[in-house]
Parts: sequence; structure tokens; C-alpha cells
Amino acid sequence: MIVALVGNQNSGKTTLFNALTGANQKVGNWPGVTIERKEGHVKGTDITVVDLPGIYSLSPYSNEEKISRNFVLEHHPDLIINIVDATSLERSLYLTTQLLETGVNMIVALNMFDLVKKRNIHIDKDKLEKALNTTIVDISAKTGEGIDHLLEHVKKYDVKENKLLNIYPSDVHDVLVSVRKDLAKADIENDYFYAVKTFEGEEDYAKHISSSTKEKMLQVQKKYDMDGEELIASLRYDFIDELKKESFTNEEIEIREKQANKKLSWTDKLDKIFLNKWAAIPIFIVIMALVYILSVGLVGGLTVSFVDALFNGSEEIEFNFFGLVWTAPFEIAGIGPGLGGWLESIGASPWAVSLVADGIVAGVGAVCNFVPQLIILFICLSLLETTGYMSRISFLLDRIFHKFGLSGKSLVPFVVGVGCSVPGIMASRTIEDENERKATTILTPFMPCSAKLPIISAFAGFFFGTFAWLVSLSFYFMAIIVILLFGIVMKKFIFKGSHTTYISELPEYKTPSFTYVFRDVVDRTGAFLKRAGTIILLCSVAVWFLGSFTWEFKYVDGTDILINDSLLANVGMTFAWIFAPMLGGNMSWGAAVAALTGLVAKEEVIGSMTTIAALAGENVELFSEADVIFNFFNPITAFAFMSFNLFSAPCFGALGAMKNELGSTKSMLKSALFLTGFAWLVASIIGSISWIITAAGGTL
Amino acid sequence: MKNKHMHIVAGEIVRLSLLKRGEQGKVISLQNDNKALRRRLLDMGITKGVKIEIKKIAPLGDPIDVKLRGYELCLRKADMAEIMVEKL
Ligand SMILES: Nc1nc2c(ncn2[C@@H]2O[C@H](COP(=O)(O)OP(=O)(O)OP(=O)(O)O)[C@@H](O)[C@H]2O)c(=O)[nH]1
Ligand SMILES: [Mg+2]
Repeated sequence: MIVALVGNQNSGKTTLFNALTGANQKVGNWPGVTIERKEGHVKGTDITVVDLPGIYSLSPYSNEEKISRNFVLEHHPDLIINIVDATSLERSLYLTTQLLETGVNMIVALNMFDLVKKRNIHIDKDKLEKALNTTIVDISAKTGEGIDHLLEHVKKYDVKENKLLNIYPSDVHDVLVSVRKDLAKADIENDYFYAVKTFEGEEDYAKHISSSTKEKMLQVQKKYDMDGEELIASLRYDFIDELKKESFTNEEIEIREKQANKKLSWTDKLDKIFLNKWAAIPIFIVIMALVYILSVGLVGGLTVSFVDALFNGSEEIEFNFFGLVWTAPFEIAGIGPGLGGWLESIGASPWAVSLVADGIVAGVGAVCNFVPQLIILFICLSLLETTGYMSRISFLLDRIFHKFGLSGKSLVPFVVGVGCSVPGIMASRTIEDENERKATTILTPFMPCSAKLPIISAFAGFFFGTFAWLVSLSFYFMAIIVILLFGIVMKKFIFKGSHTTYISELPEYKTPSFTYVFRDVVDRTGAFLKRAGTIILLCSVAVWFLGSFTWEFKYVDGTDILINDSLLANVGMTFAWIFAPMLGGNMSWGAAVAALTGLVAKEEVIGSMTTIAALAGENVELFSEADVIFNFFNPITAFAFMSFNLFSAPCFGALGAMKNELGSTKSMLKSALFLTGFAWLVASIIGSISWIITAAGGTL
Repeated sequence: MKNKHMHIVAGEIVRLSLLKRGEQGKVISLQNDNKALRRRLLDMGITKGVKIEIKKIAPLGDPIDVKLRGYELCLRKADMAEIMVEKL
């Protein structure tokens, strides 16, 4: 049996879906989290549950809303569970009245009942059930209350024969009946639903309507002095108003309560701060800064040395608390040297030892150093997403972003993109206007995603020390500035102006659920580790292999044959000229290779560099004097090279997502080329400064 | 044309965008000529006769959060200017 979850945005469909199926689909406290259809099974039953993007009506505006409408109308689910946010019944029931007209069997789940009880909202379920002629179950998807009960109803298939609601006054009703008859003659299924749609002016079926019926339609619309669309919407809301008087919160009580306790709700109080005229934007900046201060600054400084010791061995480790450094003795062989030593002891050949120590452990370990910071980043993002602050960011900045050809809604993809560009790019789907949507899709990869964090952190940690977090933050704001600049350029030259709108909601602030945040962070960290164990591992082995052999397939032993003769150096050298300007004139094959492998996964930039440095010399710290390959970097070229890697074409995964959203490989390639070209230009300009300084005899 | 600094008295018919925080208006007509937008506004419950209260204004003055039908909705000023209301 196929059961579809249909309801307004942010009403709790995915929360219910997860509760029913045990899945861990993304839940967030902003409208438009789910953008794709997702299926899951209820254990021990034959029930397939389908989670859909939220909609407010069956006349959809954006692509992801079309998915929901089409699923209901064309896929014929056996049952719809209409999730209704019981704290805003009036608006939610509007969709319910439309769904009931489709003739699909339906159960209404009144969600968020925990809040209903807490706030003493009065809902007379029996009356509502009678008036809507359908089964109603109250649940709280978040706490799990009532879900068993709902499931029982589903299993029993406890649905009522859909009798038509008494929404339309007799004159309108009569016309609808005529339209319906005309449609029935033309063998159109769902005739009642489409009769209403045709009355509203939808063109698809207008050709089946007889001229006398058309005449009747016009007459009744004239009588009410509204067009079909407005008339039907008004009548639906009138019907709900009537319902409200009988069966839910009575306005009088509401007013009396308001007077009794002139208290503001929690949400309104918090918004007085977070949306305060003067404080809002500074608070936003501080919150975003905190993300980097906590992850790169605090946790990064405290853990990098420790995790590195686990992989590569150490005698003592360093804790860096914003510049206050102290060390602790910590003697450990480390996985790499340990495994290497063991391999040597059992008589493995030097190349096998090198493969494990320099290739696999160094490359993968370099990436894993950053896991503690990423965990903090993921926690911060998860909190932004679940508390309701996300929608405030969008509300706060819409004015600015609108001026620059984007929408406040573009902020959602950008913030999600700080975690990973792929879901970020996909989140742009909720932007109604096509131009704003495309611009957002193309610009989302500019945001420094979590895979870019290792690049920033490694470079900035070495060259900017205590201020590493500030450098990370500067990339974040630089990204926003670049995005705005490109927004305006695209608006002026490519996507010429159309009228765009912003219709959204500020959801109530919610305390994040610990379990959810925990699962979300585990999920994202798991995905990162999985990549470290697969793509990064493969890449590191490839880099090791190419770096360890020459064209003649001779092993690079470091004494007779040097790494500069390796295949890798040869390949890298053919591209090195591209990177010379940003590296202050240095022809570095190592940096070229690293940047190229960044296409596979951005964190591999650091993986490759570490592997190459390990191949070139034993036990060298990246960028230190002893690192013959990369010791040419200075703070300026480091900044330039970081900029290139951050702003250039994203990894293949993100390119794939861009292709989906932009609709063609050609537009995706164009965008990638554009991103890379821009990154190269910026990086080269920065790098040239270093060139000029050294040419003038200065030192860096 | 009404200037935004003028005081609007109850019963006057004005653009929704002219109301200040805390003020209420009753919708008289929707004049938005963008079809998709008009449809969306109707779907969100902005029909003739509904009461709308200005709740929160974004720090930069736009968009604006309004309350109607027991829930809240954010709209841009430009779009609100095309909703005529009777001030309450
Ligand atoms: N208090 C309370 N909060 C809930 C309940 N169900 C869901 N929520 C919260 O409501 C918010 C939205 O939940 P989602 O499940 O993402 O909503 P959705 O309907 O899938 O939203 P879209 O995918 O955006 O259409 C989240 O913050 C949930 O934690 C509930 O029963 N009680
Ligand atoms: Mg969802």
C-alpha cells in the first residue's frame, strides 16, 4: 500500500516519515527543507510511505511543489496522510479542502499536538471530523505521541467515503456541477477536482466546456464581482472561517487571553533581539563568526596536533588556545610509522612500506586531522537549521540580496553549502524565480564547504597561526561579497530583470532535538570519513603511485632517482605554468597536482600535498623548511592558492548537482569554467603581489 | 498619493505597505497583476475581508512579516503596495 504524506511546508511531514520508517531524512525548521520525493517502508507491514515537498495549495509555483501535486493527482497513492500543523489550522485546512476534492482516500493527521496542549488551543476534533467528513488523528511527530494510533488507522484503512464538502453556495455549486458534467462527458478522471480548477481559469480542460456552461461561469463570477480564482479561494476560506467558529479556537477567547497576559510569545521575544533594527546584522555576523571561531579556532587549535600524532607519531603534542600554546608529552608511534615498521620487520619491500606510510596513512590522515573541527562545524550548522534562525537570516538579508539579483531565499542554499555544496545547490530549488534560482545554483559553490575547511585550516594554521579562524572567516565573507558582485553582474547582463517576489514564513523558534542533531552530525561526519576511506584513499594511492615511479617504471628511491623525475612531477609540470602567477612565479608541479586532485574532492588538495611531501622527505611537516616541495609558500601565495582552491570549479559531486539544477551539461560546464576562470584571476592577482615584493628585493 | 509619514486614520483605504508596525487593515482588493503572485497570495489566505496585522519589519525595512488567519507570512513591500486595505 502506498501512503503519501502531503501537507504545508514545515508542518512535520519528514519528522513523521522518519518516525514511521526509521529513516533519517533531513528535518529542518524552515519552509522547504524537502525538495524531492522519498520513499520508505514501515517495518513489518506492506506500507510504503512517500515523503513529499511541502505545498500550500494544489496550484504549484515551484518545481518541487509540482512533484507533490503530480504525485497526488497522477500516481494514485492508495492513501494520503494530510499532515496539518494544528497550530495554524486555518491556513492548513485550505489545502485539506482541495485534497478532499481530488477524491483520493485521506486521513488527516493533526500534528504538533504537543504545542496545541501546551498553549491551550481548543480544537474540537469530533466536530471537525464531521464537518470535513474524514478521519482525523492527533499526533506529535516529534515526540512520537499518537503515531501508533495513526498507524492503526492506516492499517485498518479507516477512511471515510469522501463526500463532497459543503463549500460552495448553491449558485456556484450548480455551475460547478455543469462544468463537471462536461468534463465527465470527455472522460476526464478526477472530474470534480478539475471542474473546480477549470472554474478557476486553468486552461488545460477548458476546451471540453460547452459554451452555455462557460456563459454560466461568467455570470456567477460577475455576480460575486470576482474572477474564478479569487471566488473559489474566498469561498474556501469562508468555509474554514465557519468551521473555525464551531470547532476550533474561538476568537473571543483568544482576545481575552491576549488582554489577560499581554505577554509576548517566546518567538516574538527572541525576534525582538534577532530581528532588532540595529542589532540584527551584528548578531548575524557574530553567529557566523562563532561557527569558525569554535571549529577552526578553538577545536582546530586543540586537536590538530593530537590527531596528527595518531596517524604519524609524535613525542609531544601541542595545544593551541588562540595563541596560548602549551605542549604535553605524548609518545606514540602513530599508525603510519607503526604499520611501516611492522611491514619492514616482516621483510616487505621499501615500496610497500612507502605505499602504506607515505601514500595511504599520510594522505588519509591529513584529511582526518580535521574531523574534530568538522564535527563542530556540523553541530553549528545543524543548530542553525533546526532552531529556526535560518529563516531569519533569509528575512534579514532579502533586501540586500534582492538588490543584487538574488533572493533572501538564496541564503538557505548558501548556509547549507557551508556544510556541503551538493545539498546546498539542491536547496536552490525552492526559489520561485528562475533567474534568481539559476544565479543561486551557480554561486553556491563559492561558499567554503566543509571539504574546503581542511585546505583553509592547514594553510592558515601554518601561515597565520592564531588568526587561522579569522582567515577562515574572511573567506566566508569574501565569498558573500563575490556572490553579491556576481549576482549584480548576472542581473545586469545575463538574467535580465523580471518581477520577483519573496513569500516566506518565519517559523517559531524550536529547541533543537538532541537526538536529531546527534544523528545529523554522525551522518555528515560518517559521510566525510567514508570519503576519506574511499575516494581520498584511492586518490592518495594514485598520487603515491605516480610519485613513486618514473616513465621507465623505475622506483623513486630518493637517492639515485628523485621525486622530481617521477611521473607525477612530469604530469604536474605540464600544468605548473597555469599556477605560476598565483604562486608568486614559482613553477610548482606539486601545487598543480594538488589543485587538480581537488576536483575529485576538495580535501584531497591537502591529502595530495601531504603524500607528496612524505614521498620527498621523511617526517617533514608540510610547508616547513624541510619540505622541499612546498617550502616556497609564503603567507601571500598561501592566501592566493587557498583562494584558487576555494573559488574554482567545485568537486565532481557538486558539478553533478549543478548539472541537474541547471538542466544541461553545457550550462554546467560554462558555470564551472566561469568559476575557475574567476578563481584563477583573483588568485593570480593576489599571488602577483608576492612576486612584485620579491622582485623588488623584499622578503616574505 | 499618501506619504509614508502621514498619519492614516481608521477607515481610510490605503496600500498595505503604508501601515506601520502593530496596525491592522482589512483587505479590500488585490491589485497585483503578476498572475502567479496573485494566485499565491490568494492561496495564502489574502482574500477580501481578511484582517492583516503588521507584525515584524526586517531591520533594513523590507520584507515585512504580517499576521493573518492565525499565522504569519513574510512579504516584500513592493508586493504589499498592491494590496489595498481599509485601516482598522
Ligand atoms: N513541537 C513540535 N515540533 C514538531 C513536530 N513535528 C515536527 N516538528 C518540527 O517542525 C519542524 C519542521 O519539521 P519537518 O519534518 O522538517 O517539516 P516538513 O513538513 O517535512 O517540512 P518541508 O520539508 O520543509 O516541507 C522541525 O523543526 C521539527 O522538529 C511536533 O509534533 N511537535
Ligand atoms: Mg520535509
